[in-house]
Amino acid sequence: MTAMRDLPDENLFVMGHTACPGCGVAISIRNALRILGKNTVVYVPASCGVVFSATYPHAAMKVPFLHTAFENTGACISGLKAAYEKKGKNVNVVGFAGDGGTYDIGLQSVSGAAERNEDVIYICLDNEAYMNTGIQRSGSTPFGAWTTTTPVGKLTRGKREFKKDLPEIMAAHDIPYLATLSVAHPADFIRKVEKAKTISGFRFLHMLTPCVPGWKIDQAKSIEILKLAVDTGMWTLYEFEYGERKVTYRPGKMRFVKDYLMMQGRFRHMSDEDIKRMQGWVCRKWGQHYGEKGSPEVCPVELPAEHHAITEDHRGMHGP
Amino acid sequence: MYEVRFHGRGGQGAVMAAQALAEAAVIEDKYAIAFPFFGAERRGAPVLAFTRIHDQKIYSRTQVYTPDCVVVLDDTLLDTVDITHGIKENGIAVINSTKKPEEIELGRKIRTAAVEATSIALELLKAPITNTAILGAFSRATGIVGIDSVEKAIMSRFGEKLGEVAGRKNAGAARMAYDRTETGMSSGGKEHAIRKQWLPEYRELPVGGVLGARTTDAGLIGPGSFIENKTGEWATFRPVRDRNRCTMCLACWFDCPEGCIIRIDNGKDLRTDYGYCKGCGICANECPVDAITMMRL
Repeated sequence: MTAMRDLPDENLFVMGHTACPGCGVAISIRNALRILGKNTVVYVPASCGVVFSATYPHAAMKVPFLHTAFENTGACISGLKAAYEKKGKNVNVVGFAGDGGTYDIGLQSVSGAAERNEDVIYICLDNEAYMNTGIQRSGSTPFGAWTTTTPVGKLTRGKREFKKDLPEIMAAHDIPYLATLSVAHPADFIRKVEKAKTISGFRFLHMLTPCVPGWKIDQAKSIEILKLAVDTGMWTLYEFEYGERKVTYRPGKMRFVKDYLMMQGRFRHMSDEDIKRMQGWVCRKWGQHYGEKGSPEVCPVELPAEHHAITEDHRGMHGP
Repeated sequence: MYEVRFHGRGGQGAVMAAQALAEAAVIEDKYAIAFPFFGAERRGAPVLAFTRIHDQKIYSRTQVYTPDCVVVLDDTLLDTVDITHGIKENGIAVINSTKKPEEIELGRKIRTAAVEATSIALELLKAPITNTAILGAFSRATGIVGIDSVEKAIMSRFGEKLGEVAGRKNAGAARMAYDRTETGMSSGGKEHAIRKQWLPEYRELPVGGVLGARTTDAGLIGPGSFIENKTGEWATFRPVRDRNRCTMCLACWFDCPEGCIIRIDNGKDLRTDYGYCKGCGICANECPVDAITMMRL
C-alpha cells in the first residue's frame, strides 16, 4: 500500500472546477483519480460531477471524459471497456455515478454490468439525495432527512423510509471486489482504491460524500462529519473480496447518532421519538457489521422484532 | 416600470433578495414579479435574479435586459461580469463594497451606491450572506420602496423560512445597511473587457463533439481547460498556514476539494494557490496541530 506522502503530485482533476466550496464529491474524485493514475477513462452520468467538471468546451479532468445519459453508467463503461479491449489497450475504465444514478435510475444498468462481471470500476458517490437538481429524495436518503420532496411540516417530518442497503445488493451479485470508503480515512481509502485498481472484473466502490447545501452543513466540516458518520455507525468501512466479508476499520467507541444528526440542518427538526427510531436502526446495523451489540450506553433499548423498513406510514397504506 | 437586476453568487441569496424586494413593493400596493435566471448554479458561481415593479399589472416575463438598477451582492463580480450592461441612462448601481462609490471602477460613470454589506452580514448574521443588507442599501439609494416595507417583507419571507429570530436579524441587517449607504458617481476609465468565447462553426466541430486539449484564440479548451477558471474570487476567507507549527502531515493536501494546496521543494513544503482557493476552511478544520487559520480577505 502506498503511504499518503508517496502519492503522486499530479492533479488529474484540475483547479478551477466549479464545485461548491467544501464539496465532498470533489475531494473523492480528485483522490480516486490521483491513485488510479493517467491510464484512466472516466464516464460520468447526469450529476453534479458532470456540471462542475465539464461545461462544454471546458473540462476539469485531464483524462478522457465521456458523458451521455443518466441511467446507463453500467452499460456505458461496459461498452468503453469493450472498445478499448478491441483496440488492444489496457486502461482503467471508471464510472463516477451519484446515488440517484446508482440506487434508483441506474440500478438496472449497474446490476447488468455486475452480473456480466465486466472489467470496470464503478464508483458510487453517495450524497444521499438528488443534489444537482436541488435536493430531492433518493433511495439513499436516510430516515428523517429533509429534502424538497420529503418536506417538514405538520403532516410529515422528512423522509419516512430508511436508507436502502446498496452494498448488500451489489454483494449479492457475487462480484470480485466491493468496498465502502470515506475520504476522512485516507489510509483505508488509498488501500481500497489501489486494490480495486489491481483486481480484474467488476469492482464497486461506494463513497459517502457530504453535500454542503444539501445536508445544510458548515462548508469546513465536510471531513469532520464523515468521521462522525463512521463513529456513530451511520457509515461502515468494509469490503467484500471474492465473497469474503471484512470490516476494515472499527471505530473505538460508538457515539450517539444524535451527535451526527444535529450537525446537519436536514435532520435538525427530528423529534426525540424519530431520533430514537434512528438509533435503533443504527444499532441493528452496527450489530450486523461488527458482530456485536452496540455499546450499552448508546443502545439500551430492546429493538422491536419487526422489520425496520415497515413504518407507521406503510401500515396506514397497506394495513397491518 | 422599474426593473432591477441582481448579480450575486450562488448561496448569497440573490433570488431571495429579488423575491423580498417584490414583496416589499406589493406591501406598498404596487405590482411586482421576481424570478431567477435558470442555469447550472453552484455555490459561489455567478448567478442572476430579476425584479420588476410597476403601478399597473406586469405582463412582461422576459429577463431584464435594460435595468433601471443593478444590485451587486459581491464586488469580486465586477472583475468578471460587466454589471452595467444595458443599464439605462439615469440608472443606478447598488454595490456591496468596502470602497467609496467614487473609487469603484465600473467602466463608465453612473450613479452608484456603496455599502459594506459583507461586514454587516458577518456582524449580525455570522455568515457572509449579504442579500438582506443590500436591500436596505437599495431602499436608501433608489427610494422605490421604503425601508419599513423592506423590513416587513424580509420578516415575512425570511421569518417564514428560517424562523422569527432569523427574520428579525435579517431585517436588522437591512436597516443597518440603510443607515450606512453612501451614494456618489462611479469612476469611468477603461472599458470592461468581455471574455472571448470559443464559437466554432458546425464544420469546425470534431465528430461527436470530441475535444482534445488545445489552445484557441479564446483560451484553452478540452481536458484540463478549467485551469483558466480562477475560482479564488469566490472566497470570503483564505487559509494562512504557520510554517513553524506545520508538521507536513499532508492532511490539508489530501482533503482540499480544489487541489490548490500544492507540494513544493520535493515535498518538503506546501504552497496554497489563492487564485483557486474558494475559502471553504476544510484545511483549517482538519489540521491536527491548528497551524492553519482562516483570515478575512
